Amino acid sequence: MSGRVFVGLSGGVDSALCAALLAEQGYGVTCVYMRNWSRDLPGFTCPWADELADAERVAVSLGLDLAVWDCEQAYKETVVDYLVDAYARGFTPNPDVMCNQTVKFGTFAERAFAEGADFIATGHYAAVEHTAAGPATLLRAADERKDQTYFLWRVSGAVLNRVLFPIGSVPSKAGVREMCRARGLPIADKPDSDGICFIGPVGLRTFLLDSLERKAGDIVEWETGRVLGHHDGAFLFTVGQRRGLDLGGGPARYVVATDTGKNTVSVTADPKCPGLWTAEDVLEDVHWIAGSAPDAGEYLVRTRHTGTLRPAHVEPRADGTVRVFWPEEVRTVAPGQSAVIYDGRICLGGGIIGRHVVPACRTSPLRKF
Amino acid sequence: MDAVGRTIYLDYGAATPLDARVRTAMEPYGSELFFNPSAAYDEARRVRADIERARQTIAHLMGARADNLVFTAGATEANNLAFAALSDDAHVVSDAIEHESILACVERHAHAIVDVAGDGRIDPADVAEAVTPATELVSVGLANGEIGTVQPLRALARVVAQERARRLSAGEGRPIWLHTDASQAATALSINVSSLGVDLMTLSAAKMYGPKQVGLLWADDGIVLAPLIAGGGQERGLRSGTENVAGIIGFAHAFELASQLRASEMRRLEELRLRLVRPLTSAFPNAVIAGPRNVRLRLPGLLHLSFPGVEARRLVLLLGNEGVLVATGSACAASKMRISHVLSAIGMDEQTAAGSLRMTLGRPTTADEVDAAAGTIIRVVAAEYGRLGIRP
Repeated sequence: MSGRVFVGLSGGVDSALCAALLAEQGYGVTCVYMRNWSRDLPGFTCPWADELADAERVAVSLGLDLAVWDCEQAYKETVVDYLVDAYARGFTPNPDVMCNQTVKFGTFAERAFAEGADFIATGHYAAVEHTAAGPATLLRAADERKDQTYFLWRVSGAVLNRVLFPIGSVPSKAGVREMCRARGLPIADKPDSDGICFIGPVGLRTFLLDSLERKAGDIVEWETGRVLGHHDGAFLFTVGQRRGLDLGGGPARYVVATDTGKNTVSVTADPKCPGLWTAEDVLEDVHWIAGSAPDAGEYLVRTRHTGTLRPAHVEPRADGTVRVFWPEEVRTVAPGQSAVIYDGRICLGGGIIGRHVVPACRTSPLRKF
Repeated sequence: MDAVGRTIYLDYGAATPLDARVRTAMEPYGSELFFNPSAAYDEARRVRADIERARQTIAHLMGARADNLVFTAGATEANNLAFAALSDDAHVVSDAIEHESILACVERHAHAIVDVAGDGRIDPADVAEAVTPATELVSVGLANGEIGTVQPLRALARVVAQERARRLSAGEGRPIWLHTDASQAATALSINVSSLGVDLMTLSAAKMYGPKQVGLLWADDGIVLAPLIAGGGQERGLRSGTENVAGIIGFAHAFELASQLRASEMRRLEELRLRLVRPLTSAFPNAVIAGPRNVRLRLPGLLHLSFPGVEARRLVLLLGNEGVLVATGSACAASKMRISHVLSAIGMDEQTAAGSLRMTLGRPTTADEVDAAAGTIIRVVAAEYGRLGIRP
């Protein structure tokens, strides 16, 4: 193998092994630390400087150069603002999907190619098959439990044709750690990071409250319209959410719907509540990695990272949206989340789940909202 | 690592280990002498007396009166306390190579930042020019922690005295004081407040083989300080909160030791620094030494050496893997993604600045350690130049 590859080094285990493997395969490797976010928030210390220090340790131990690229502006404009705006409108977006599309496989890819890279590489768990003329084919990783194609469906097939995912063929995360250890990489035992990349485990609430104003509103019972309690902003709630309602005991309740316009959150104690189930989803803002929609038919669809791959009838429409018909009702997924469509191991693309038309309640005439 | 595989620590400017004698002196105050010094019973009054004795000791070593000392949680707090004494409309004068804790305080006031020469020295005439009728504070560190420059404080004191005299005859009531953060200097230089001619001085125990989070601000008679921390009224109301008893006791012991050892340590560290720099500059003729050459104008145990073309951040990691612990430019600047403000201020170009190591020798440093460290540094820097295809 030969060619110049720019590797996004995050300070974590996966990207470290990614860089090591590519160097071993004979690529000319340049490591790049993308600084996307560096601001501390109340109760959250941004770990970027520590992550950079780990990335440096990795680069030094591999004898590779590390550049630091400031991507904060691109990240702010395309990921953070998108996130805040979507929540403000009552959606529950996937910032990682946006980050991959616009920063890692957007800004970073463009700059790397402009600086002479033949390929870019990241530590994602995914596989890619290049084609002579592009677009490439994106496939799920060998380790299905770590597969990250759910976050990659908006990446363009043309860019993917110049992307390498060496970690995608490692059979397990334990294997990745083992291989890091075998190479003496200083981060082999570093714990997995989780949560949204820049907010970390602290939670979205802190982040959203830093950007959006609190606004007191009612938590109402979906069946009756009865006020059960209060919240400090409907944008803080997500369909399907069970925790954090603070209704002072009683049965477990689920969020059925939020209305950021009226600032109400509707909940139910009935797990069979029709608002929590759907037989059909409408996908908007659709993207196909191959560049065009596949034929209507039976595909596998996933609505959550590493979530169940469910067979469904997928129907691309002329207006660019996609209808997903589930053979039996599935739990409602919060609007704004991604639905990703697969043909076997191939990730075809996906769309953003639109707002559900919550069916009228048939059990109570008291419903007021 | 030295011949027997021990780690060689050359970063005493960042932190000094607690001297064993200091630790022993501190120990009882965490156990049998744990009492709150504000309590009324005899046991607590003895602890109170110990604090006051420590205060006396420290004051004596600085040529000051004990009542003019305020113990703080470190030098940064002491610096902040000095600036808190200023009026809202005060103007301050400082220089471009101060520690961040000074520069951040300066930023909160109308200010002038005086440039420094290539060796980091301030020209007192520049300070005289920067002083305005609204200037209430001139703050200049006695010795710079990054490149080791010692500043002409006595000359600065004359500038301040002149302005004070001018205001007196002009009938202007605004005070003007000279403050110095002497944290980096205490083990190497005499820090007698009256011979330096300063009005306020910051010191830190952590840089003199004492405990961390203990420092002090000395303020001359007539300077009315404003507390940053309100509460139970300890430290004459200027720093509330139960006293850090063990820390203060440790501070006094550390300071006594530092004063006893100062003269011999100065000579010893100067020799060791030269012993370190000679092989490095002969192996790398392109290496750049920052700070004054004259030993009387610099910290004896600090060597700031730049290897143009290499990345110091990598060198620090590579040297760490080999058991030699050094700093890049400065510990504070190292956590950020930019060239140290000190190095830009002395006019060092970015490429040279990015290849800068700061090595600070300390009381435990031996000639063997210095020789072993020099060997490791030469090997690591040469390998890095080789990897980059640069011929130094």
